[in-house]
Amino acid sequence: MEDIKVSLVIPFPTKRAAQIAYDVLRIDPEPKRNHIKKHYELNENNLKVEFIGDIAKNVRVALTNFYESIILCVETQKQFGPPVSEEYSHY
Amino acid sequence: MVIAIGFEGSANKIGIGIIRDGEVLANVRKTYITPPGSGFLPKETAEHHRNQVLGLIREALDVSKIYPNEIDVVCYTKGPGMAPPLLAVAIVARTIAQLWNKPILGVNHCIGHIEMGRLITGAQNPTVLYVSGGNTQVIAYSNKRYRIFGETIDIAIGNCLDRFARVIKISNDPSPGYNIEQLAKKGKKYYTLPYAVKGMDVSFSGILSEIGRKALPQKATKKRKLDQEDVNELPSHEDLCYSLQETIFAMLVEITERAMAHCGSNEVLIVGGVGCNERLQEMMGIMCEERGAKLFATDERFCIDNGIMIAHAGYEMFRTGTRMKWNDATITQRFRTDEVEINWEVGKV
Repeated sequence: MEDIKVSLVIPFPTKRAAQIAYDVLRIDPEPKRNHIKKHYELNENNLKVEFIGDIAKNVRVALTNFYESIILCVETQKQFGPPVSEEYSHY
Repeated sequence: MVIAIGFEGSANKIGIGIIRDGEVLANVRKTYITPPGSGFLPKETAEHHRNQVLGLIREALDVSKIYPNEIDVVCYTKGPGMAPPLLAVAIVARTIAQLWNKPILGVNHCIGHIEMGRLITGAQNPTVLYVSGGNTQVIAYSNKRYRIFGETIDIAIGNCLDRFARVIKISNDPSPGYNIEQLAKKGKKYYTLPYAVKGMDVSFSGILSEIGRKALPQKATKKRKLDQEDVNELPSHEDLCYSLQETIFAMLVEITERAMAHCGSNEVLIVGGVGCNERLQEMMGIMCEERGAKLFATDERFCIDNGIMIAHAGYEMFRTGTRMKWNDATITQRFRTDEVEINWEVGKV
């Protein structure tokens, strides 16, 4: 059976805002038993995320979790932004 | 001068704290409280934290009168704990670190409790009893680690209390343990319960089953018939709470005393949510007095999970040169107390 593939492109107001969401979200590994492959890509002010998995239910769960996380990240940026620097300068 | 902000959300509490070189500037907290008879589940708890966290950050900044640019390090709970709430809080901490361009540090929750207890009470090199909803450990410092001398082999003591509160359906507000403590004050009759100390370790799950059978005999299985005594009259909740507390606290005092004898220590520090139980403090105090030792305990502001303890432990780490790579700013459900290398001074070694 062929894999299920979902890709999302999320536009941000600035390149830095997209960069923050990318860095904040990309470092968490998907739970192993979910068997989902997740790729993040940063393209100017667009964040592209791709979910690949063979069970529809797992893909849906991964997507729901992703939405919850990115909404939280965007909301935090809205309330405590804008970023003070053009790049993150710690390790 | 170092100013640290701490984010804690490993269980049903979400807390933000700001600390400047050991001086508490802000300590705000919200608790996710479930209806009587039910506990908190990971997904719902994470949702609660997501809804509360931003308001709490604002509140902590207002209370402390600190501007974001004055903060030196952003600390968050890396583990141990429930993954969904940990993750929600970690995402906010990472975003904040990026926005304000500050270094980020993941802190071990248990180390947070211990360091906070030491800061508030001034204990130098204590034998630590860490008792909460998810952990039960007797800890002492030796050679750059907090070593675990004894711990629970099944459920945590707070988990035992919380689940008993669910059995008898008492309120979870402000916390099940607090309500059990109040009921226990009115208890008079002691019901015998199993006493499960195994070497330096303790076990609570069998005690929970047994007291559950005593509370609700109609639910007891045929396999384990109840004593005649129990069937004749149904024990009151007050007496059961009293019996449960006396039994499990005695177990804790026993293993703490043995750890003290082993280490030659004359200080005890009680930390963690169950640590604000005054009966536990009283029992531990009696033991300490007999040994000529000193007891240190804190109140609910610092015992129960809070952001300030994460900020403070993070401050100690940051001050002594610990740094974290961005890609390591993840979370982990399992993270033992003795995995952390302690680079700051703990008492006389």
